[in-house]
Amino acid sequence: MTSDTPLLSVRDLEISFRTGGRDIPVVRDLSFDLSAGETLGIVGESGCGKSITALSLIGLVPSPPGRVSKGQILLNGEDIVTAGEDRLTRIRGNEISMVFQEPMTSLNPVYTVGEQIAETARAHFGSSRAEAWDRAIEMLRLVGIPSPEQRAHNYPHQLSGGMRQRVMIAIALVCEPKVLIADEPTTALDVTVQAQIFDLFRELQHKISAAIILITHDIGVVAQMCDRVMVMYAGRKIEEGPVRSFIRDPRHPYTRGLISCIPKLSRDPSDTPEPLFEIPGVVPSPADLAELKGCAFAPRCNRAINECLLHSPALTALGPDRAVACLRQEEIPA
Amino acid sequence: MLTGLLRKLANAVLLLFAVLVLNFALIHIAPGDPVEALVGEMGGATPELIAELRESFGLDKPLYVQIGHYLGRVLQGDLGYSTYYDQPVTYLIAERIGPTLLLVTVALLWAIVIGTILGVFSAQRRNSWISHLVTVLSLAGFSAPVFWIGIMLILLLSVAFPILPISGMTSTEAATSTIGYILDVAHHLVLPALTLGLIYLAFYSRLSRTSMLEVLETDYVRTARAKGLPKRLVIYKHALRNAVLPVVTFAGLQFGQVISGAVLVETVFAWPGLGTLAFESILRRDTPTLLGILFFSALMVVVMNLLTDFIYRRIDPRIKAT
Repeated sequence: MTSDTPLLSVRDLEISFRTGGRDIPVVRDLSFDLSAGETLGIVGESGCGKSITALSLIGLVPSPPGRVSKGQILLNGEDIVTAGEDRLTRIRGNEISMVFQEPMTSLNPVYTVGEQIAETARAHFGSSRAEAWDRAIEMLRLVGIPSPEQRAHNYPHQLSGGMRQRVMIAIALVCEPKVLIADEPTTALDVTVQAQIFDLFRELQHKISAAIILITHDIGVVAQMCDRVMVMYAGRKIEEGPVRSFIRDPRHPYTRGLISCIPKLSRDPSDTPEPLFEIPGVVPSPADLAELKGCAFAPRCNRAINECLLHSPALTALGPDRAVACLRQEEIPA
Repeated sequence: MLTGLLRKLANAVLLLFAVLVLNFALIHIAPGDPVEALVGEMGGATPELIAELRESFGLDKPLYVQIGHYLGRVLQGDLGYSTYYDQPVTYLIAERIGPTLLLVTVALLWAIVIGTILGVFSAQRRNSWISHLVTVLSLAGFSAPVFWIGIMLILLLSVAFPILPISGMTSTEAATSTIGYILDVAHHLVLPALTLGLIYLAFYSRLSRTSMLEVLETDYVRTARAKGLPKRLVIYKHALRNAVLPVVTFAGLQFGQVISGAVLVETVFAWPGLGTLAFESILRRDTPTLLGILFFSALMVVVMNLLTDFIYRRIDPRIKAT
């Protein structure tokens, strides 16, 4: 499944936003690899830097005020950070595609869905109008939209949320990209539709052997879909590992917290439900983080000691494919 | 779709009726009537003659009878007879509508085209000099009175550098050929069209800039970029078509308001259009002419609204569904 050189390799990535005359980093020291055919989950609360990291991979960090201020993003060895706009245009949608969180607003209301798929094929393959239109219909069929010949002539407002997200996926996959980034692709959809969309991802991944980066805060989705997981907190990677060990043996107190937050369904209706677990507090703002010396999670961590407030923990390897950034990870019982 | 259209038409007819009655009543509430104005110009008259004139114009009847008569004749396409020009009002309007349409169309067209280009351009470069220029220009365009701009342009382009005629639509000496006539009118058109267009330019550059800025932030524009479309397609295909919707709305509305929009400019440049006619008919208490122009003006607004609605449906597919 994996080859020696990673398909996508992110090295020491830092993304900053300029606010009040200062560059405030929102993502720091982020490194990770993605191999062909692999599914990597990126997990974390809102505001931890997941989505902006995803946008940086296709050179779409909103600029100004944002920019990649350090590091490299290597796609087959080619640095995306320093690539020109022309090159980026050829990479986007062709080698790396993205499916966004909001299917209701991510399609242009004034063009038919067929056109919105077809134009992507025309832009990257230089296909004729007729070829591109046929390809669009083929894609609509592939993503499971019934009677695609008719649906291609529909405008986005004539489709349901689930259908629109399928169209978004069709757009993302029309050029058979090597990497597909899905940023909370099902957050806005019904649970039943969610399952269909994920089935679709798996099926399509198999068909075109794309690598997927799945951004989510839903641990259940991660368990179903991913090979590997990376947990982000306040703009940093704090834990990484194969999905099984992530679920069974989380090392970072934050990861444990995330997993404890999943509500458990009881089979016996007479059971009094356990109170839901929550992690106290909120993710600190990037501006506060810039002042912070110690671990960003320490103020919310129930195992924090004085040491945690003074030193920022480095990412430590726990084995060939596991790493965690916590000063106390060895002392904390599994 | 068809029933919607019928309902819109019915609404339009009702609206026109209301406008007619209201205009009629308002003008008759105002002091002074055509007879007083006429008598004033004649240098006085006997009470008998005044009464006779009143009777001949039907002004001695009660207001509701007058309105009834007027409505009846409007329904037959007759807008009455001018008390000053001694000609049918429809004839007067027909004679003057051409120059007004020419002036307003040219002014609006150049202003919309240039304004949209400026707006779209400056939206893409939010902090560039061109963006600031658009902001300053539109503020100036909004604040400066149109007659002042007109006079300044006359001073600059007709007096200091006499390259354009000061006023009128044609030169005193008759043109010998059709092409000569067209060129002569075009030459006279430059200043008034420039003046009138400047206010519209201020408005449209501002409107399209704001609209474009908003659209550039939308998710679907992000999608268009994320699929690797070249910048020109992202801007001119995905963003512009959505950004242009408010421009279309306002263009339609403003084109309907041609007459009120052109009154000042036509007066400054002595352009022989409806605006000048309206102005003159107010001065001369020429009620039938004024009423006719007001009615015609309302008719234009209504027609343009219907037309805008139609164009809007062509640009934005979401409207058809509702």
